[in-house]
Amino acid sequence: MKNFNIILGLVLLGLTSLSVQSAEIRDYHKDVIGNDCKTCHDNGIKQFPSDESCLQCHDVDDLAKQTARSEEDKWQNPHNNLHYGKEVPCQECHGEHTPKEPLCSNCHTFKFDKHKG
Amino acid sequence: MSNIDLLGRRKFIAGLGIAAGAAMVAPAMAVSEKADGVKWDKEVEIVIIGSGFAGLAAAIEATRKGAKDIHMFEKMSYFGGNSAINGGLFAAPGTPMQKTEGVKDSVDRMVNDQLASGRGVADEGLLRHVASHAVEALQMTLDAGSEFHPYLQQLGGHSVARTYQTTVSCGAGITQPLFKECKRIGVNTHNRSKFEGFLVGAKGEVVGVKMRTNYHFGEDQPGKVLNIRAKRGVIMATGGFAQNVDLRMAQDPTLTADVGCTNAPGATGEGMYEMFRLGAIPTHLAYIQSGPWASPDEGGFGYVSNYSIFNLPHSMAVSRTTGKRFMNEIADRKTRADAELENRDEKGNPVPPLLITSFKDSKAHPNTEKVIKYNVGWKFDSVEELATHFGVPLAGLKAQIAEYNGYVKTGEDKQFGKNMTKAAGKYIEAPFTVVRLWPKVHYCQGGVKVNTKAEVADSFTGKSIPGLYAAGEVCGGIHGVSRLGSCSIPECMVMGMTAARSLMKV
Ligand SMILES: Cc1cc2nc3c(=O)[nH]c(=O)nc-3n(C[C@H](O)[C@H](O)[C@H](O)COP(=O)(O)OP(=O)(O)OC[C@H]3O[C@@H](n4cnc5c(N)ncnc54)[C@H](O)[C@@H]3O)c2cc1C
Repeated sequence: MKNFNIILGLVLLGLTSLSVQSAEIRDYHKDVIGNDCKTCHDNGIKQFPSDESCLQCHDVDDLAKQTARSEEDKWQNPHNNLHYGKEVPCQECHGEHTPKEPLCSNCHTFKFDKHKG
Repeated sequence: MSNIDLLGRRKFIAGLGIAAGAAMVAPAMAVSEKADGVKWDKEVEIVIIGSGFAGLAAAIEATRKGAKDIHMFEKMSYFGGNSAINGGLFAAPGTPMQKTEGVKDSVDRMVNDQLASGRGVADEGLLRHVASHAVEALQMTLDAGSEFHPYLQQLGGHSVARTYQTTVSCGAGITQPLFKECKRIGVNTHNRSKFEGFLVGAKGEVVGVKMRTNYHFGEDQPGKVLNIRAKRGVIMATGGFAQNVDLRMAQDPTLTADVGCTNAPGATGEGMYEMFRLGAIPTHLAYIQSGPWASPDEGGFGYVSNYSIFNLPHSMAVSRTTGKRFMNEIADRKTRADAELENRDEKGNPVPPLLITSFKDSKAHPNTEKVIKYNVGWKFDSVEELATHFGVPLAGLKAQIAEYNGYVKTGEDKQFGKNMTKAAGKYIEAPFTVVRLWPKVHYCQGGVKVNTKAEVADSFTGKSIPGLYAAGEVCGGIHGVSRLGSCSIPECMVMGMTAARSLMKV
């Protein structure tokens, strides 16, 4: 029983530090996520969240509006881009625990200053 | 010279190679097996693997022929493969725009151009089949809402102008409308679904596939393998393997992770491997093409590629050490890539050559502004400024410009025999636009052998493997040693449509 508690303690500690880490990248996620990993991990804790998970709170059309660029660069909008429209799943460019590169940087040198990984 | 982090880029590309390699040897990798006693998780009418031109065209055509329950699987999180980042250049003979522009062309002529570039080993029957149906494929894109520039282009190795290009100068101008059309007509699309093996019936026929669902490319997450029965058959449209550094180096050891690549990360070739395991005939795997119009100043295809494809016919490519031309700017790809690779210093380090165009002519292409804005190309007001910037010998460069402008005037290139039709009246004059050229691994001519019904041939029986069809870049032998630019879109789409027609007849 004692052992079990230690293990449980370690597991919880691990999870907490992970979620702290995730909230550090985007501090506005802190309140929503708290210590409940399941808020995002709808496929189970050890699995990546589903592609729909972020869409519980975020709306693609709103995001596309927020990141809209001038007419000349309109297709460089990461949330409504030339190659995939609005169909790129969030996790392709955003990671809560590990920062990621924008998908566009595979081929293009343009910058996304506000991209937090 | 430029403020771009080329090293970071290279590391990134190398990293991709490793990730792709790791994904290939994932411990839980399933392989093909007998379907005997298998528990089916799902039963569908048609399985299509891959969501590029070939897969999308197959899905639409199968629906037109009456299929009701089509499932398209894509291992990446996003749909479209190489097709969605492609240059949007589409060759077809006998098109309406050729009639308007007075260009005389025919199926024979297009096939002959391709046979020449294929250097004797291309498959004439398949080339003829594709050229004969290319206008139908073009029509499918128009029906779905694709839009094209109002002019034709003459690409390297083509004897006439026969190439359409989407108004966005990208294959997405085709994949986006086709994907929307697929959704509209009820094709079931599944992302993060990785094909891992066939399920094979008693007579060696393909009856289903093993599909890993909830798959995250390059990440360590096992997902779950489902056994999916395909009542009519399976269409493999999984594309090429240019991103699989191990496999491309097994064919050509010079294509290390240091050599750039224009392809999407998913072009790793395991679908092709699995067909070989089943008995398909490996064809022309060693013919891997590099794009001679790419730039070392950006990743992938970037902005420069389309910029140079458009401008090469009326531009001058010169060596930086001499200021002299070193190739026919519109020769076929292999000829040009080989010539570019010879541009090196005494130690053998690359000295990428320069493509010089008059700004007034270059700016007819929509990418010109972007190329300059994103520091992957430069504008110069005088030849002196240009020469100083790149350290090119001024006298040599001036002499070359004068000589080349003479060819523009007479219409005859005495240096390299370039077809000067598209260069008529377009003298090389200041101000100039300049980009650097260096080849990138671009297209795999090799793959499985198919016939004009898109059936996959079995290496032991010589017959077609029942239930299995393949279309697009995963197929080999069609183009031979070198593929002509803008000939893949018609091939992928026509063969995708062909696979659908064959499968709906059975
Ligand atoms: C940057 C670039 C520009 C190009 N420009 C032109 C051009 O202008 N004109 C022209 O004619 N050709 C061009 N080409 C070539 C042409 O785009 C490709 O040959 C063509 O897109 C291949 O289409 P496809 O349908 O065979 O494969 P793809 O479009 O590559 O699609 C294959 C799909 O299958 C998926 N897949 C692979 N393995 C699996 C698996 N195990 N399970 C599930 N899914 C899998 C891949 O992720 C991919 O999405 C270009 C190529 C590139 C890379």
